[in-house]
Amino acid sequence: MNVRLRILGSGLSAPGLPDIDALAAVLAGGELGDEKPGSSSISLLSPRERRRCPETVRLSMAAAEQACSAAGIDPAQPDAVFTSGMGDLAISDYMCRTLAETPELLSPMRFHNSVHNAAAGYWSIGAGARGDVTALSGASDSLVTGLIEAASRVAADRRPVLLVVYDTVADGPMRAVWSPRHPFACAFVLGVADDAEAAIELHAQEGLRQDDCPPLPAALAERSADNPAARALHLLALSLGRGHGPLRLAARQGPGLRIEPAA
Amino acid sequence: MKDLHIAAMTLTCAAGSGLDALRASLRNGESGLRRNDYPNCELDTWIGRVEGVENVTLEGDLARFQCRNNQLAALALDQDGFRAQAAALLERHRPERIACVVGTSTAGISSTEQAFRELDEAGEFRPEHVMPWVHTPHTSAAYVAAALGLEGPVQTVSTACSSSAKVFATAARLIESGWADAAVVGGVDSLCLSVLYGFHSLELVSSDPCRPFDRDRRGLNLGEAAGFAIVEPRPQASLGRLLGWGETSDAHHMASPHPEGAGAIAAMRLALERAGLAPDQVGYVNCHGTATPMNDRIETAALRTVFEDPPPASSTKAWTGHTLGAAGITETVFSLLSLGDGFLPASLNCQDPEPDAADFILREGRRQKVDAVMSNSFGFGGSNCTLIMGAA
Repeated sequence: MNVRLRILGSGLSAPGLPDIDALAAVLAGGELGDEKPGSSSISLLSPRERRRCPETVRLSMAAAEQACSAAGIDPAQPDAVFTSGMGDLAISDYMCRTLAETPELLSPMRFHNSVHNAAAGYWSIGAGARGDVTALSGASDSLVTGLIEAASRVAADRRPVLLVVYDTVADGPMRAVWSPRHPFACAFVLGVADDAEAAIELHAQEGLRQDDCPPLPAALAERSADNPAARALHLLALSLGRGHGPLRLAARQGPGLRIEPAA
Repeated sequence: MKDLHIAAMTLTCAAGSGLDALRASLRNGESGLRRNDYPNCELDTWIGRVEGVENVTLEGDLARFQCRNNQLAALALDQDGFRAQAAALLERHRPERIACVVGTSTAGISSTEQAFRELDEAGEFRPEHVMPWVHTPHTSAAYVAAALGLEGPVQTVSTACSSSAKVFATAARLIESGWADAAVVGGVDSLCLSVLYGFHSLELVSSDPCRPFDRDRRGLNLGEAAGFAIVEPRPQASLGRLLGWGETSDAHHMASPHPEGAGAIAAMRLALERAGLAPDQVGYVNCHGTATPMNDRIETAALRTVFEDPPPASSTKAWTGHTLGAAGITETVFSLLSLGDGFLPASLNCQDPEPDAADFILREGRRQKVDAVMSNSFGFGGSNCTLIMGAA
């Protein structure tokens, strides 16, 4: 199984990496900064909504909005795939603590924000996207899961798809099962590849259980090893013409992906 | 689009384990709802709890998946010869070519709740609760793929109450685009404090057995269920064809449906368009029908907009409770049963129907052969999915 795709635009939201330009600077030899991913770059939510919405929403939406802007596509248009291993860990922590102590006091807003498709739902509301906006999980395989889902949609529907990959950090006992120390979100608008254009090719690779990608600068390699979503840094580097293929992205179950620039 | 069939299916919910038990419950009007007896929950409500889930042990390599959600999934896989059907599927296709797509909203959260109730003195999980394959939304598809030996793409869909309807669309796309030759799809949601107290906090839980489409309905009851189906282009036997699907978003509010049902209307229309059917070719609709005042009113209006004259329709949630992430598979199985058996289930507990729905909501089960059925699933985040199935 292999499929050609075009990356029409991409976006990024992580500490020190508030956008694609910041990534390009680090790939060119610059230092990784320490600024927080800025919610000020989200225009699709009002300032009040930005303050009230969960962290996963702010993080993912910033990346998604950048990707649409870079692709020159109206955010309301593409179907979207949100993929995350753990969803909103801060809300899970709140829910489980409250249920253990004072269940009758559970906040209705936090409850409806606890669904795994909260980031997808807020995106749909903010962007006015009335097509399909779905939410997946593949645990630590979520990047590969999302890429396969997005690729199958581009092939089946022959129109661009927004793929948003994100995972945050456990700040509490969930650290025992989820170790990342840095949140990460990125987004791609993926489209049909015409023959003449620069494209990437995805190959399903059975039994691929170990990543094998060209090296990144140390600070980025550390992020990529820290958070399973941040393995997408390899694909972002490739799309910036900074990396060379192929990338081999492993999965614990199901096929991994070999990704290379299309010849 | 490839001609896709449902080659096998099974369902376990409060109304019964396995298709024969469910057929009997539907015909005899025997609800699976009971007064709330879920541990650590004091709420005055009724629930659709499946008997014996707590007694299931996942053995060997599967022990890493031990949680109520996967125990319920294991119970369901044991019914209707589904494991044998999956084994036969593995004879027809290489394991790498069989996708596994499972919908859930609760996943392993009841185990996460327990881990937080039993933190050690340092505020950390006790060793027995450090279960990375359980404390993730993906536990559901990961477990099913491991239990059945499926090695194609594995994906958990988690879009609240539309989750396990969307798995059929996902499977169809994976097959259509060449990532898989067939798929095991399904949905699993289990009772937990998060949803019991969560829906209570939104004032959507009824203290009586729920009454979908009744003008005096007071809200929903929560339930749990697990169901599975095999989606395959050229099966040896077929229970029905997947004709169409529509997936849309309300783009309106996280927890309230669009006031005019715009997303629901669009989902039904997209499904009809994909199926190549006119509205009057649909013979039965299994509604989302949660029995909340708002859902049933808006769904009624949406049905009136899509169908000039809506076909016989019912909500089966008074049998099962609202099984959330498993509602899609639960009601798809009920829809396929009505297609195969020529028996349309009643909207149980609807005594005095909402006036606008009185002419099409079934108050009694009806023997009637139909050629195409529709199932609606709408969820938080404004996520809507409509499926249409046709005779084999």
